[in-house]
Amino acid sequence: MMKTAVEFDKKNLLASGHRACGGCAQALACRMVLDAAGKNTIACVATGCLEVFSGPYPDPSWRIPFLHSLFENSAAVAAGVEVAYRALKKAPVNVLAMGGDGSTADIGFQCISGMFERGHNVLYVCYDNEAYMNTGVQRSSFTPFGAKTTTTPAGNRFHKKDLPQLAVVHGVPYVATATVDDYHDLQRKVKTALSIHGPKYLHVYAPCPLGWGHAGDMSIAISRLAKETCLFPVYEIKDGKLVSVVKIPVKKPVEEYLKVQGRFRHLFKKGVPTTEVELIQEIANQNIERFNL
Amino acid sequence: MEKLPLGLALDLRKVVPYKTGSWRTQMPVHVMQTPPCTFSCPINNDIRGFLRILADKENFVDAWNILTRTNPLPAICGRVCPHPCEEGCNRRDLDYPLAINCAERAVGDYAIDKKLDHRKEHITPRQEKIAIVGSGPAGLSCAFHLAKRGFKVKIFEAEHQPGGMLRWGIPTFRLPREVLDYEINAILKLGIELECNVRVGVNIPMDQLTNEYKAVFLGMGASIGTRIEVPGDDAQGVYSGVEFLKEINSGKQIDLGKDVVIVGGGNTALDCARVAKRLGANTSIVYRRTRVEMPALSEEIDEALEERIMFRYHTNPTQILAEDGKVVGMLCVQMEMKEADASGRARPAAIAGSEKVIPADTIILATGQAVDYEGIELNKRDEKWISTDNYLQTSIPGVFAGGDAVLGLETVSAAIGQGLRAAQNIEDYIAGTLQNTLSRPPVVLSKDLNTIYYETQRRFSKQGLPVHERLKGMKEIYSNFEPEEIVKESDRCLSCGLCFQCNNCLMYCPDNAVNIISGTGKYTFDLDFCKGCGICSKECPCHYIHMTLE
Amino acid sequence: MLKQIEGSQAVADAVALCRPNVISAYPITPQTHIVEDLATIVAEGRLDTEFLNVESEFAAASVVLGASAAGARTYTATTSQGLLLMTEVLYCIAGMRLPIVLTCANRAISAPLSIWNDHQDSMSIRDSGWIQIHAENNQEAADLHFQAYKIAEKTFLPVMVCMDGFILTHAFEPVDIPDQDKVDDFLPAFRPRATVDPMYPRGLGLFADPRFYMEMRYIIHRAMEKSENTIKEVHEEFNKAFGRKSGGLLKTYKLENADVVIVAMGSVVGTIKDTIDLLEEKGKSVGLLQICSFRPFPRKQVYQLLKDKENIVVVEKALSLGRGGILGSDVRWSFPRTEQTDRKISNFVAGLGGRDITTDDLAAMVERVEKEHVEFDFLGLNRDLILERDL
Ligand SMILES: Cc1cc2nc3c(=O)[nH]c(=O)nc-3n(C[C@H](O)[C@H](O)[C@H](O)COP(=O)(O)OP(=O)(O)OC[C@H]3O[C@@H](n4cnc5c(N)ncnc54)[C@H](O)[C@@H]3O)c2cc1C
Ligand code: SF4
Ligand code: SF4
Ligand code: SF4
Ligand code: SF4
Repeated sequence: MMKTAVEFDKKNLLASGHRACGGCAQALACRMVLDAAGKNTIACVATGCLEVFSGPYPDPSWRIPFLHSLFENSAAVAAGVEVAYRALKKAPVNVLAMGGDGSTADIGFQCISGMFERGHNVLYVCYDNEAYMNTGVQRSSFTPFGAKTTTTPAGNRFHKKDLPQLAVVHGVPYVATATVDDYHDLQRKVKTALSIHGPKYLHVYAPCPLGWGHAGDMSIAISRLAKETCLFPVYEIKDGKLVSVVKIPVKKPVEEYLKVQGRFRHLFKKGVPTTEVELIQEIANQNIERFNL
Repeated sequence: MEKLPLGLALDLRKVVPYKTGSWRTQMPVHVMQTPPCTFSCPINNDIRGFLRILADKENFVDAWNILTRTNPLPAICGRVCPHPCEEGCNRRDLDYPLAINCAERAVGDYAIDKKLDHRKEHITPRQEKIAIVGSGPAGLSCAFHLAKRGFKVKIFEAEHQPGGMLRWGIPTFRLPREVLDYEINAILKLGIELECNVRVGVNIPMDQLTNEYKAVFLGMGASIGTRIEVPGDDAQGVYSGVEFLKEINSGKQIDLGKDVVIVGGGNTALDCARVAKRLGANTSIVYRRTRVEMPALSEEIDEALEERIMFRYHTNPTQILAEDGKVVGMLCVQMEMKEADASGRARPAAIAGSEKVIPADTIILATGQAVDYEGIELNKRDEKWISTDNYLQTSIPGVFAGGDAVLGLETVSAAIGQGLRAAQNIEDYIAGTLQNTLSRPPVVLSKDLNTIYYETQRRFSKQGLPVHERLKGMKEIYSNFEPEEIVKESDRCLSCGLCFQCNNCLMYCPDNAVNIISGTGKYTFDLDFCKGCGICSKECPCHYIHMTLE
Repeated sequence: MLKQIEGSQAVADAVALCRPNVISAYPITPQTHIVEDLATIVAEGRLDTEFLNVESEFAAASVVLGASAAGARTYTATTSQGLLLMTEVLYCIAGMRLPIVLTCANRAISAPLSIWNDHQDSMSIRDSGWIQIHAENNQEAADLHFQAYKIAEKTFLPVMVCMDGFILTHAFEPVDIPDQDKVDDFLPAFRPRATVDPMYPRGLGLFADPRFYMEMRYIIHRAMEKSENTIKEVHEEFNKAFGRKSGGLLKTYKLENADVVIVAMGSVVGTIKDTIDLLEEKGKSVGLLQICSFRPFPRKQVYQLLKDKENIVVVEKALSLGRGGILGSDVRWSFPRTEQTDRKISNFVAGLGGRDITTDDLAAMVERVEKEHVEFDFLGLNRDLILERDL
């Protein structure tokens, strides 16, 4: 009866007791990722919401080795861990680097690029909540066009940076995007990634109730809407080739996605969509064409 | 206080988690609700329950046990019930309602095939004796539920065999007698005494029952066929519907002649027509209104049409024509519809000068039934039906009633449902707690569900005999269903209002505040950590989780 | 074995003898020769290590942070801008108590761009929680690396070995490079305290709320202070094992009966000693207090050695803009408040951006402080170049 297969991993390696807001999709995504990766994993985490809500002394939520140093260096730190394991000839271990969109797309991008280029056996996971949330909702280069943040009060004028594509052109052998609503797909991608030697990039879409202005219980629904409106295409690229795309047989108009979030409310005047909405629909249309959604 | 570790490098195995439960303003709770199928089923069968058992465990025995907690006649209902449950089924908003009726039949047939027996709920028998009048579905159901509760039950039946309209009304191509006999016998095996050929009020007085028995249940049905009065209806070859079917169902041969005309639009009319057709006659039905207004089951009208039975709508008999006292035809008039009458149906009126003769060798007037009150004094409703209070108690204290005699012409399942409720009420009556009413959990509607998680799936459809095969005799139209197909169909059930272990709440809770109690398939909320975000509730496909204010 | 080699080569050889597991660096003048030489050693198979060329000093520091947290002995080297780019990570390394060793080929800081030597780079991160030890010559530069690992791994504090860019890194001198066995005896294998290891899951780099942060900083501060003892012990052990007095907290030259004491650190100490000898011939009694360990700053020992001295002059190659000398302040602070006013403690900044410090400059300086107390001044400044209105 269920649409999705019921296979899943649940180990609570990101345990209860974290300080994320109620309904935080990043907390959820991180647990799903860790549980799929399993216990033989080391996580190198960038400063940001995730690290702050999950890593306070003396009661962090991590149940696997956790290493945090700075905002912009999780990829380099992970590279260090990986080479150390190689140098010390220790039993192989999954090395994950993770961060939010700011630490991935902006300040930490250089380290990620270096990690990709040197071919470290590291899976980089980006939890994309489309703004600097830890500091109070400022624009990042993953903030979508039109979204209101505290530094783009009239709506963001720029388009989201296409990091998965940047990873692909780095020659990263496995690049994938995923959403929390389809945990089966997400966890499968983590496992696929970890089965491949070399750098990997997984981009997980993570709704943020606080920053996006939606009720906590809507996080899953909004993830799904992002997919169904084709604003967040879910796909997998192996060795530069698009190998899977989550098809959207019934494509919803972007309005359905925009209307349920406070950050896009200014795009509707008395409920009537402004021209920006058309531009956002155009983004979706381009995705449809590009990925044959 | 713990000393700070070097570089703040903490041993994670020693962490005492921080309790986030205090952040919560609302709390998730599991709420089992009534699915609309159960709500619409006159017996309130646990449809979700038996379907899930079939889908998850392919266990027909348990499915039968679940069904027979309410309905002792699943193989019968699975054949003749108009299945209002499917009407209510939430799945209809997704694709098509569940084929509940077929599943019910499959479970009933399985029990017949495997010769399953009912078990008593009360191990220690009770001394109180209860009399049941009539062995139609209402009486059988009431007897069954009382016997299961441990009471001493005795059924008085006027006819020489039990079953009521199941036996004398419904023809065998819709309800084979082996099925009927098996299910009745299974009920009687609970230790119920059956005495046939006793008409209460005639063969024994009511007083005797009320004196000898702690309580009485009247399930007398409406066994008298009432005809509309048509001039010339005393001719040979004119029957009432009930009368005709009873003759046939008793195995009597009737010479129908070439043309048979049936008057009426109810189930009886349809059955009469279908029987006549099977006996080789040209058959037509005369009805004042149109198909939409016909009280007969839509499915049965469809089947009748397939069987080439002619429907003459907007037609009303004015006179029966006879030669030598034998019917030769019927004079009819065309009708037109006028504004709705009190019953909400458009009122037909004759069109002047539209009379015409329909040739007929036999005419069956299937135009009504009435309760046989001989020797029984009771308050009545509309001067026809037995009047009862909310507890199905009649004007005589301790005498309860149900089924067609109370409801007017209804269905088998309605009769079973009332039999069940009367049994519950009789138990309460004997315990002196009749005033307590049980409130039912709220009904879960399809708007409450998160249907995203359900896939559209083909509905099971039963395949009947081809028409020419059907008409060859009284063979049952639908042969038994493949269990695998029924299991597959059962898996379409959305499990409205009850957890079906989809694990959404477990997987989607960002705080891991949903735990599964291993081995039980049950989930609990860890309120030490639950932040009350509501995701579990929103993403529960079947609306089993509700958010309540703390 | 005594070898006539470049300072960078000496350091590379010494580092290789310490058997680091992971080396990561980014090229910057004048550090480049060190990593180039190490790369060669690794390429030739003389050292089994993971050598990682990364995209920036920031990454290099981050890589060694990660590697150290995973239990590896690590090494990196940089200078000037590179060190500044690393700064954020360096603070983090110290806070996480990771015993990383870094060579800083001291160089000036932009702007204006200058690739020549002074101490501004390492000075600017003196508060980061790194032990900073300064080499006088290439032998000492090499020897300090053996000691650095030992100190770091005993104290769980990172150690920065400072050597003057070009002046030492690019100078050819005879340097004794010890045998591997001897180094192995002196420097036992690294035994990390807390690592990232799935067998024993630990959280490293947790964040501390106001209940804990101060204590964590206090702990590092006290550990830094107490590391003075470790530095001394390791210095003595080294002396015993190798028969050389490299390192330690402080060194002196003709200090005992000196009327004027020069306080300095790094390679300039050589020129100062020459000046002292020259002045001695002229009948002047000048002595030297050489600071080897700038952080921790051996305040008590400085006081012990200088408490009877009336005329002290601190020459240094760094400057706190708008405030003055840095080493000078530290030396002044070494005296109890009441005693500071009783004596002359002069302070000169010299040799910024590679400006030569000659014996003449130093002799003139001594002459000046014999006459007056110079609170703070520049040595060898060409005032003809300065436009008054820009000041
Ligand atoms: C031809 C026909 C087809 C039908 N088809 C369907 C169908 O497809 N689906 C459906 O759901 N419903 C159908 N019905 C209706 C259904 O049969 C009745 O609603 C149902 O049988 C009512 O059950 P009951 O127990 O109330 O009464 P009955 O079934 O009528 O049983 C009453 C019993 O009481 C006995 N009795 C009466 N008076 C006395 C007395 N004084 N003492 C002792 N015994 C007495 C009678 O002999 C009889 O056995 C049909 C009805 C007819 C006539
Ligand atoms: S008795 Fe009728 S209404 Fe009830 S479950 Fe069966 S088919 Fe549905
Ligand atoms: S889907 Fe299942 S539980 Fe829901 S109404 Fe239909 S049969 Fe009942
Ligand atoms: S999803 Fe978890 S935290 Fe949210 S309400 Fe449900 S149990 Fe509580
Ligand atoms: S979400 Fe699924 S597992 Fe949880 S209560 Fe609802 S049906 Fe059961």
